[in-house]
Amino acid sequence: MAVEIPMPRLSDTMEQGTVARWVKHEGDRVVAGDVIAEIDTDKATMELTAYEDGVLLKILVGEGESADLGTPIALIGAEGEEVPESDIAESAPPAPPTSSEEAEPPSTEAEQREDEPARSEPVDRPQPTGEVRASPIARRIAAEAGLDLRELADTGSGPDGRIVKVDVERALDQEGGLGRAAAEASIAARAASQGAPPLAEEEVVDATPMLRAVARRMSESKATVPHFYLNAEIDMGRALEMRQELNRALTGEDERVGVNDLILRAVALALVENPKFHRSWHDGKLVLHKSAHVGIAVALDDGLVVPVLRSVERKSVREIARESRDLVERARSGKLKQAEIEGGTFSVSNLGMFGIPSFSAVVNPPEPGILAVGAAVKRAVVIEDAVQVRRIMAVTLSVDHRATSGAEGARLLASIQRHLEQPLLLLAQE
Amino acid sequence: MAEVTYREALRRALDEELDRDERVFLMGEEIGRFEGSYKVTAGLWEKYGPKRVRETPVSEEGFVGAGIGAAMLGLRPVVEIMTINFILVAQDMVVNHAAKIRYMFGGKVGVPMVIRTPGGAGAQLTAQHSQSLEVWFAHTPGLKVVAPSNPRDAYGLLKTAIRDDDPVLFVENLVLYNVTGSIPDPGDDFTVPLGRARVAREGADLTIVAHSYTVRRALAVAERLAQSGFEAEVVDLRSLRPLDVDTVVESVRKTNRVLIAEEGWATFGVGAELAARVGRACFDDLDAPPERVGGAEVPMPYSKPLELAALMLEDKLEAAARSLLAESGLVATGGD
Repeated sequence: MAVEIPMPRLSDTMEQGTVARWVKHEGDRVVAGDVIAEIDTDKATMELTAYEDGVLLKILVGEGESADLGTPIALIGAEGEEVPESDIAESAPPAPPTSSEEAEPPSTEAEQREDEPARSEPVDRPQPTGEVRASPIARRIAAEAGLDLRELADTGSGPDGRIVKVDVERALDQEGGLGRAAAEASIAARAASQGAPPLAEEEVVDATPMLRAVARRMSESKATVPHFYLNAEIDMGRALEMRQELNRALTGEDERVGVNDLILRAVALALVENPKFHRSWHDGKLVLHKSAHVGIAVALDDGLVVPVLRSVERKSVREIARESRDLVERARSGKLKQAEIEGGTFSVSNLGMFGIPSFSAVVNPPEPGILAVGAAVKRAVVIEDAVQVRRIMAVTLSVDHRATSGAEGARLLASIQRHLEQPLLLLAQE
Repeated sequence: MAEVTYREALRRALDEELDRDERVFLMGEEIGRFEGSYKVTAGLWEKYGPKRVRETPVSEEGFVGAGIGAAMLGLRPVVEIMTINFILVAQDMVVNHAAKIRYMFGGKVGVPMVIRTPGGAGAQLTAQHSQSLEVWFAHTPGLKVVAPSNPRDAYGLLKTAIRDDDPVLFVENLVLYNVTGSIPDPGDDFTVPLGRARVAREGADLTIVAHSYTVRRALAVAERLAQSGFEAEVVDLRSLRPLDVDTVVESVRKTNRVLIAEEGWATFGVGAELAARVGRACFDDLDAPPERVGGAEVPMPYSKPLELAALMLEDKLEAAARSLLAESGLVATGGD
């Protein structure tokens, strides 16, 4: 590898030097300590000595020519070594000998070298082999935001292209920015194809960070999680009666048990009963869940958050009611802690209060499934050849087919149904 | 509150402790009539007499040993070693006796002794008189090592050290003696706990950890960085042993970057210790590897230009800070 000989600082005030004479010529052998050139500084003519042994391969700044401090003026290397064209091309051209005003600023590379504090020299690292180099905090932020660092590979601002915190932050910011550009493009495209709606009618605003997070997670889910759906109708008559009776007995207004609390309990008991459903797919491995941490989808003014109720199978209906009320209230006032929205093993999304009879929900990875709950409505049902009026609640179970199968989903759903149709099971602690 | 020099803050702490507790006495070379090489004991010989302000021969091993014996028998000696460079002839007394006696005697007797001594460099005192050897002692279980950076901490920590039941090496600094700052009034009985660091300046971009005089350099560098739009947080360790890792960790979790600066040689130093601790505690918080900077790894030269080149001056600290920021893709936005 040829070594560059930079224009040295030979006086405190010099900004560039002029090669007065090359003492050594291209092809000459050089031993460290040899005088290789004479340099005119702003004060005097000084000798430039070599710091390495080798052969003077190439003179880059000729006699009478000037160069800024740090600019390579010659290359020293091994005998017979070829000088790569790029080495010459990359070297800054010599400054004109006359004016110092027109002189190029010293190359930043040289400047950096000079400013470098007493630090260990970077070690030659093997070229990365498909592995992403990133700082730990960059990895952590990316993981929390669901950003794949491979998308940023080789664009890092750190040493050797290491991805650092600012790179990840910039990428996350741009997600909003790109989304906006795409939105504008699609609006423009529509306007062009239909020739109609004036852009002035519409407005483009930045999505909130929460909406961006939802967008990212839901896109990731639909793109990577193979969903399938199972439907069931649950007779909620006895569960609703039991709830009424409970609430009559519970005096405090904020002690009341909601329908959703019964559903959460039924789901939790069903999950621990069905371990072949209650597990998550992680890159070819299955994480077996021992306790049911159930996420509750909470609609906000303009957004969605899923706080997680821990170990629901170990909690009484009243505890579930109390804790879920607290989580939902704090979700609405934006006071959830990060830990309270992580670690779910299943989720429940209930749109019954909006009168929706049935719908299907998107799995919240890495959870294996989500239960979409519709309104409990009176329906004519045939029971033992007679038509009866029953309160029926339609539910849809969305399942990650990588984690489990249709039969396991069916068993889970049957188990949920059994607990809700025989609701004393919800009260009977194991 | 009174505005005093670091030297005067130490003198007041000694005066107040001599007055408060008759077991406290001072011992050292030229600390009586001559009032100490750095005048820290000014007026105390006249006030308390030769029994409590004892002058010693030039025999560090002898008078540190005498201090240990006095401490074992119930007194509270405060021994002055003229500079930290001279403690080396008493090393056996400090490391093998003062630090070990509580252990060797099964906890039945301790050594409540303070050794006060200044380190530091920069006055062309050359290789043998310009050292910062505090890490040698911070390495040793059984010793406590403090190194305050300002009059208030010097005052509060010296009082705590004198009241502590174990040996404390109290490291001062030649260039700190004339630095001024406010200290609380005597009636407040103000003290600073051992082993508790202090955030001397808050910032979000980089943590600079330092002790003793280097804290002042770090604050000056933080000021320069602020002009380029970077906010450095400066943590003043105050104690090296016990070491307040928690305060450093909390800061690094916030800034994601850490630079440990010390006046002495960096190899096996405070930076080495903290880099290891932070590397483990903050692994997932780091945006760049922990960096450290210290004095040049040479005996301190006499020649002024060479001394300036060897010292860990602001320029060197600033360059290390900027380089660490650059490693994190942060480039100066203005000023400069």
